[in-house]
This record gives sequence, structure tokens and C-alpha cells, in this order.
Amino acid sequence: MSSKSTNRMIHNIIIYFLLILLAIIMLVPFVWMISSSLKMNKDIFVIPYEWITKEPKWRNYIDIWTKIPLGRYAMNTVKLTVVVTFLQILTSSFAAYAFAKLQFRGRNALFLAYIATIAVPWQVYMVPQFLFMRKLGLADTHLAIIILQAFSAFGVFLMRQFYEGIPDSLCEAARIDGMSEYGIYAHIMLPLSKPALSTLFIFTFVNTWNDFLGPLIYLTTDTKKTLQIGIKMFISQYSAEYGLIMAASVISLIPVLIVFMSLQKYFVAGITTGAVKG
Amino acid sequence: MNTQSARKRRMRQNLTAYSFIAPNFLGFAIFTLGPIILAFIMAFMEWDGSNPMKFVGLSNFTNLFHNERFMAALVNTVNYSLFTVPLTLVAALGLAVLLNQQIKGRTFFRTVTFFPYVASLVAVAAVWNMLFTPAKGGLMNQLLMNVFHAAPLKWAASPDTVMMTIVLFSIWKNMGYYMVIYLAGLQGISGDLYEAAALDGANSIQKFWYVTLPQLKPTTFFVIIMLTISCFKIYDIVYMLAGGSNGVVNKSAMVLVYYIYEEAFRNWKLGSASAAALVLFAIVLVVTLIQFRGEKNYAND
Amino acid sequence: MKKRLISMLACLALTAVSVMGCAEAAAPSAPAAEPAADEAAAPAEEAAPAAEEAAAPAEGDAITLKWALWDKDTTVYYQPLIDAYQAAHPNVTIEMVDLGSTDYSTVLGTQLSGSGSDFDVVTIKDVPGYVTLVNKGAIEPLDDLIAQDGIDLSKYSGVTDQVTMDGKLYELPFRSDIWVLFYNKDVFDKAGVDYPTNDMTWDEYDALARKITDTTPGSEVYGAHYHTWRSTIQLDGILDGKHTIVDGTYDFTKPYYDMVLAQQKDGVCMDYATLKTQGLHYSAAFAQGNIGMLNMGSWFIATLIKGIQDGEYNVQNWGMVKYPHAEGVEPGSTLSTITGLAIPTTAPNKDAAWDFVKFVSTEEGAAVMAGTGNIPAMTNAEIVDIIAQMDGFPADSKEALITSHTYLEMPANEKSSEIETVLNEQHDNIMNEISTVDEAIAAMNEGVQAILAQ
Repeated sequence: MSSKSTNRMIHNIIIYFLLILLAIIMLVPFVWMISSSLKMNKDIFVIPYEWITKEPKWRNYIDIWTKIPLGRYAMNTVKLTVVVTFLQILTSSFAAYAFAKLQFRGRNALFLAYIATIAVPWQVYMVPQFLFMRKLGLADTHLAIIILQAFSAFGVFLMRQFYEGIPDSLCEAARIDGMSEYGIYAHIMLPLSKPALSTLFIFTFVNTWNDFLGPLIYLTTDTKKTLQIGIKMFISQYSAEYGLIMAASVISLIPVLIVFMSLQKYFVAGITTGAVKG
Repeated sequence: MNTQSARKRRMRQNLTAYSFIAPNFLGFAIFTLGPIILAFIMAFMEWDGSNPMKFVGLSNFTNLFHNERFMAALVNTVNYSLFTVPLTLVAALGLAVLLNQQIKGRTFFRTVTFFPYVASLVAVAAVWNMLFTPAKGGLMNQLLMNVFHAAPLKWAASPDTVMMTIVLFSIWKNMGYYMVIYLAGLQGISGDLYEAAALDGANSIQKFWYVTLPQLKPTTFFVIIMLTISCFKIYDIVYMLAGGSNGVVNKSAMVLVYYIYEEAFRNWKLGSASAAALVLFAIVLVVTLIQFRGEKNYAND
Repeated sequence: MKKRLISMLACLALTAVSVMGCAEAAAPSAPAAEPAADEAAAPAEEAAPAAEEAAAPAEGDAITLKWALWDKDTTVYYQPLIDAYQAAHPNVTIEMVDLGSTDYSTVLGTQLSGSGSDFDVVTIKDVPGYVTLVNKGAIEPLDDLIAQDGIDLSKYSGVTDQVTMDGKLYELPFRSDIWVLFYNKDVFDKAGVDYPTNDMTWDEYDALARKITDTTPGSEVYGAHYHTWRSTIQLDGILDGKHTIVDGTYDFTKPYYDMVLAQQKDGVCMDYATLKTQGLHYSAAFAQGNIGMLNMGSWFIATLIKGIQDGEYNVQNWGMVKYPHAEGVEPGSTLSTITGLAIPTTAPNKDAAWDFVKFVSTEEGAAVMAGTGNIPAMTNAEIVDIIAQMDGFPADSKEALITSHTYLEMPANEKSSEIETVLNEQHDNIMNEISTVDEAIAAMNEGVQAILAQ
């Protein structure tokens, strides 16, 4: 008995050692960001690197708001991200249900078409897509960005894979009880796929939040621009204000971390277990 | 009579399914699929985005395969993917299993692991370049010289080690992302299966092999395909690590999408860029089809 | 279903093609509309021959011109230029559209694709970007307008010839930057060495750099600094006027590469590989205070003055001299880059746009530019005087801005961007010591000749 608990302790020590090592390796960039955000521009890329600067330049955190309309850009990003994430989750989980749990003609071909398009680099169809959008009068609108981001194949693929893991017997039972497919989707699949929905939420949120090239090409009016475009504005033709870039990047990271931390609680075992038993 | 009602039922089934797909598919087809098909047509054209398109047959493709930079990009991208896909997969799965246990500070460790994926690429690359600097004083070179008694490496500055450096970097940056997918996948495994395995006297390694891994198959299918695709589409990491302060990416670090970007937006040869994208697409499609077949077999089990 | 899917996809493709078709159909019609526009413009100007030239467009209704540019908030001269123009033309409003600095050429190229753009004036950032737009047929040739308004191109000290393509000029430069040698006086004083002069050969320069170098670990002083760009070394070779960078033979670059490689080996300058991966900006490098000389464009003057005034730089006293020169070549030969304005073929208000371009790029605009401390493309001794009065400008360095010959970093050539790719790659190979100088030059010759032969 006591040898077993010693074993357990050794096991724990090893695990925590690994975890702490991991945390250090993963956290270095963050520490670097914070440390650089408090420095003067000229000192950031100098080696040996000074992790704690002697005279922290807190001004950087004020300057980012006054040098460019960062608040406005942040609001735009929030708006785009919320709308895109909402639409993406709704339409993807809806479509994925059909791909995973319904039999219909053309299912595999259509699904393959979805996946295959993920493999096409945006750089190749960016120009035709832009010309098409402009023909529709969508150039320089937030709607264009929403349309581009909200109907991606990625979400459908992700959700379909998770639905595949949910036993068909659950749906069959509901069908026998006379539940419609829409009912099964809403009352059985959705509640069961919280981990997957959280994943999709996090990924869509992060992607839209950090998207740069799309807004850069489409949004030309100042008042419509986004946070990531704003951060890039600190890199001008003849100089790059890395202190400000890092300060703005630290700020822009906060919502992403909040979303991640509040959603990862849905990654807990036993959700499906209960359902199958019931 | 019977067949008719069967057909009717099938049609209703089809319609229900289409109604599920429609909201996403319409947006997707009009704004993404359409332009993509057009891009594929462009592969057989000469077009600069403004002047009228000109049909040139297969010459975009023949030019590509005679172009040293493109061939280098193709070889580098395939090599990069061959290493990065399996290594990232194993690392992500390992992390997910580790962080799925009941441990103190789980939220913290999960967040930390996801960190390099969301942190600004400039910051992540800067830290990396600091540790893996070609100068002898860099941390990794010090480690090589003092602990392993090996010669210092020039990492991203040498054609021999630049791809290796990029592989290491992208594993580090992206494993947290795929860990999240695996974490979500792990939640879908029924606890009954583990209980049954425990009753059969399985130890934890056996449980992993005979319960966890097979149950994660749909997730793994997703991860492999997404990883393959994203490896083939690697671009900005190369620019940050190999491009450095002057943005010059050498043949030794050239990758497909970088080549496509150059053709499209520096030389404005959209046809040639599309042809290169079609080659990339064909490779990924083959990988996907092989995986897809494997998945179907699983579904039939 | 498969069939239906295929037909569905085909339908989609057709819709897409037809949309593109519209774009194409409209494109050829643009040149057709162009003479009509010119004709329309001609009577208008004939109608008011007596009136002031500048007043011609002013008689119309309110006009808004959309101007594509970058760094709207950090560039000091856009607003003064606009204010000066609007003061004379109250009916014209100029709207700046910032497309960002880093990806400017990509974004502008995309915006000017097809035929739906509504920009009236676009800024040309670099020569490859200019060539792209010319090849795409996206910007108007300006020769007729220049001739009609009698603009004297010789005042642009020859740079307009270097961006003339097939006998036509598509941009009018308004800003010009030349390369000079910046030096840190404190470094020289500390070493007890005389400052660099306006008349130095490359050998004298090399000797001077070595004299002030200190390789003691921990307190290094670098005699020279070369930013990682190809221009800082490769282009030194074209300053004797005997070669251009689009020739197809590059043997003339060898002495300069040999010189810098030797300096790199002896610790006279920082190591290229480290500089490149570390991503150190040249301004940050010079700001450390341990660099003797830095060859860089005159755009650095403003950055440097501001950095010192803000107390961020470890540099107190600095100066500028003319670029070193090859044996037997007149001092004052240097590299230059230009920033110009062009008018898209799709511009809604071409006449008004031309009037604005003309204003910015000629004498009136030049005076405004100089007032903000920037060198206008149409420059002369008077303008240099205005710039030298800028607060923080070193009094003894005015002479450095007076040039005898200027050569564009990249002259306009249909293949500019492809040639640049080859030259960049080999520059990187030499400086990383992956290839020897001879191997790399052979590769440049072969690569560029292959491109030129296409």
C-alpha cells in the first residue's frame, strides 16, 4: 500500500515537472511580449536581451490609444468577431448534422468538395473573389468580411467529425419516438456537442480576431478598419514602433484568453456517458 | 405503389438533409467555391487581373516544372509536411491526454499550451530567433557546444538547417491548437468503455491503445487532414523565420504558398499562381482521399 | 446526384466567369473612353484660356478626389500638401485612403484590378509596383498632359528617364531620397580619428572604418554598418555610371562584396546572418551608439532627429557626408529612390486628378515638401537650404545632399520584380557565405539573362 502511494507520488512529481517545463517553454513569448511592450523601440531586438527593463515605458500603453483610433478599431473587430462566430457556429453545426447523421444523395461528393476547398490557398482566389464582391457593391463593407469568414468549410468539417463520434443509436431512438430531424438536432445533438461547439467557438473567434489580410484588402475607409490593421499601422515605411506593436498585441490578446479560459471548462469528461445511459 | 412511397420517402429525406446544408452551403458556394473554380480555370490562362485573359493551355504547368524555385518549393513543402504532420500529431495527442487528467491547475496549463498559437507571430518568432540565433552566444548553440559538445549550428541562416528549424518552430507553435481538438474529442469517449476495459483487467497503456485511440478515430481523421492542409499552406512562418529583416526567402526555404504569393502579387502572374495552387490541391486531395477511404472502413466496423 | 452536383458546379463557374467577363469587357472600353474624356477636357480649357491655369478645374462643381497612400497619420507632408492645394481650389476635397505600408503594392494592385476602382490619384511606392501597374494597363500615360502644361522634366535631375517605359511616363515623382553616409561623431572623437569627408574613395572609406573599429568583447565598436538589403552593398557598384542593375552581368559587384565580406570577417561590421534573423532595424542599430558609419537613404534624417530629440537614442552628435565613390568618379554620385503620383485609367475625375498631381509634383508642392523637411523630387540648392534649416539638422552636413548623378535603386524594366528576386537570393547567399562571390555572380548573370531572354 505504501509503495503504491510512493509510486503515485513519483508519478505526480514527474507529471508536474513536465507540466512546469512545458509552461515555461510556452510562456516565453508572452513574457517577451510584455517585456518588449515596456521598452524603447531601439532596445527590443538587441542581444543580450534584457528581460526586465530598468525604466519601463508605461507610456506605450497610453500612446497606442492616441496615436491611432485603436478603440474604434477594437469595436469593429468585436462586432465582426461576434457576428462571424455566431453565424459560423449556427450554420456549420446545422450542415454538419446532415453530413454525419442523414443519408442523402451526393453526401460524400459534397463533403469532399467542402474539405478540398480548405486546401486552396486564399492568395489564388483572392483577386477574383474581390472583384466579384466589388461587383455586388460589398467592397469596403463589414458585410464582405462577415460573408468571407462565416461560411467556411472548416466549421462544417470539424462539427461533422464530432457528430460522427456520437452513437447513431441515440438518433434512431429519437426517430422511433417520432422526433423530427430538426428536433434531434436541437434537443440531442447540440447539447451533446458542447466540447465541439466550444472548440469551434474558440477557433473561429481566434481566426476572425487575428485576421489581417482580409480586412486589409476589403476595408479601406478609416472608420471601418480592424484591430489587426491598426497594430500593423505602427510599422511604417521607415520605422517600426515595436514597443507600441507589442503593447497593442498584449491588449488584443486579452479577449482571446478570456474566451479560451471560459470555454475550456466544457472540455470535461462524462457528458456523453450520462446521455447514453439515460 | 410501394416503390413510389419509398421514392417519396427518400426524396423527403434528401430534402430534409439539403435544408440542413443549405444555409452554410449557399454562402460557401457563392463566395468561396465559385471564385475557387474560377481560380482553377485561371490555371490554364494568362491573366494579370486587369488585361483580358488569354488561354494558354498547359503551358503554365510546363513552365512550373521547369522552374527551379517552384521545384524547390515543392520538395521543401513535402519534406516539411512529412516531418511536421506526425510529430505535431503525437505531441498534441500526448498533451491532450496529459491535460485531460484530474490535475491541479489544469486550466492554467491548458491555456498556456494554447498560447503560442494565439500570441502575435512577431513575438513568437522573435523569441525563437533569440534562442536559435546563428551567433555562438545563443542559448541553443551554447547548449549544443557545452552539453552535447557539438559544433554550433546556423539554424535559419543555413540552407542545411533552415527547414529543420521551421519544423521545430511550427510544432511548438501549433501543438496547442491540435491539443484543443483532441481535448474536445476525448470528452466524447464514453466512460462505460473504460469501465468495461478495467473489468477486463486492462492497464492504462492498454486502455489507451484499445479504447482511447480507436474512439478518437474521427478526431484523428480531422487532425491529420487539417494538419496536412495547413502544412502544405505554410507561409507566414517561413516569412518570419527565413525572411528575416530583409524578407529575402532563399530557395532552401521556399515553400509552395510563398511561391504562389510571389507569382500572384509580385509578378501578377495569376494564371501561373493558380497552376501552382492546383498542384498543391492535387497533392492534398490524394492524401485526403486515402484518409477518407480509411475512415469509411472504420465506419463500417 | 453526381451529375446534378457537377451541373451545379458548372453553373456556379459560369456565373463567376460571367462576372469576370463583365470586368474584362469593361476594361478594354476604358481606353476607348479615354480620348473622349480628353476631348471633353480640351474645350473646357480652351474656353478659359485667359483664366489662371490653376483656376481651370475650379470652375466645376464640388469634386472629391480619392487619393491612395500609406502611413496617413505618420507622414508629415500629406496634410500640408492637401491644405495648400485646397486653399487654391476650394471646390476640391481630397480624401486620403490609407492602404497600409507593408502590403501597399499588393493591396493597390488588387484594388486596381478589374475596372471598379474609384481612386483618382494613387501614390507609387516603388519601381516594381509601378511596373506592375503599367503592365496591367491600370495607370494613364502622362506625356500628353506634361507636354500640354509645359512641365520641364529636366528639373527632376534625370530620374523620370529611368521610369519611362516604352517611351511613356506614367508617374510624376514628388518625393526623392538619396543615399548618404551617416556617421556618429562621438565614435570618431573617442577614437581620435578625423571625420569622413565628402570626397572619399571606397578604399579610403574601408580604411577609415577599420581605424575606428574596436573588437573587444563587450564593448565592440563597429566601423561600418550595412543593413541586410541588397542595395547597401550590391548597388555601390553602379555608381560609376558604367553599369545598371538590370544589365544581366554583375561582375562589377565583386569588389564591393569582397570589401564587406572582409569587414564582416574582421568584426568591422555586424554579421549578416545574425542581423537578418535577429530582425534588428538599422535605426535601432545606429541608435545603440557603437556604429561609426551607416550608409542609408536620406529618409533616415527625420527618424534620427526625432529619436535624438525624444531622448531615445544613444547618439548625440552626428553628421552626413556624400557617398564614397569609385576611383576616378566625381563625388556626389549616389543612389536614389522616388515616390510618385499616378492617375488610374479608371479614375472618375481625371482632369481634376491631373491638376492635383501637377501641383504636388512641381514647384508649389516642392516648397511644401521642403517645409516639412523632406526632399522633393524637383529639387535645387534653394530647397536644400530650406531642409538644412530644420531643427536638429547638423550644420556641417548640408553639402552631403548635393548630388552630381543619381541612379535609381531599380530602374523601370518590365521584369523588375523577377530580376529583383534573383539578385536578392544571391545577395543572401553571398552574405550568409553559402556561395562564394564568384559563384553567386555567375548565378546572377545566368538567372537574370534567362529572365531577360523570355
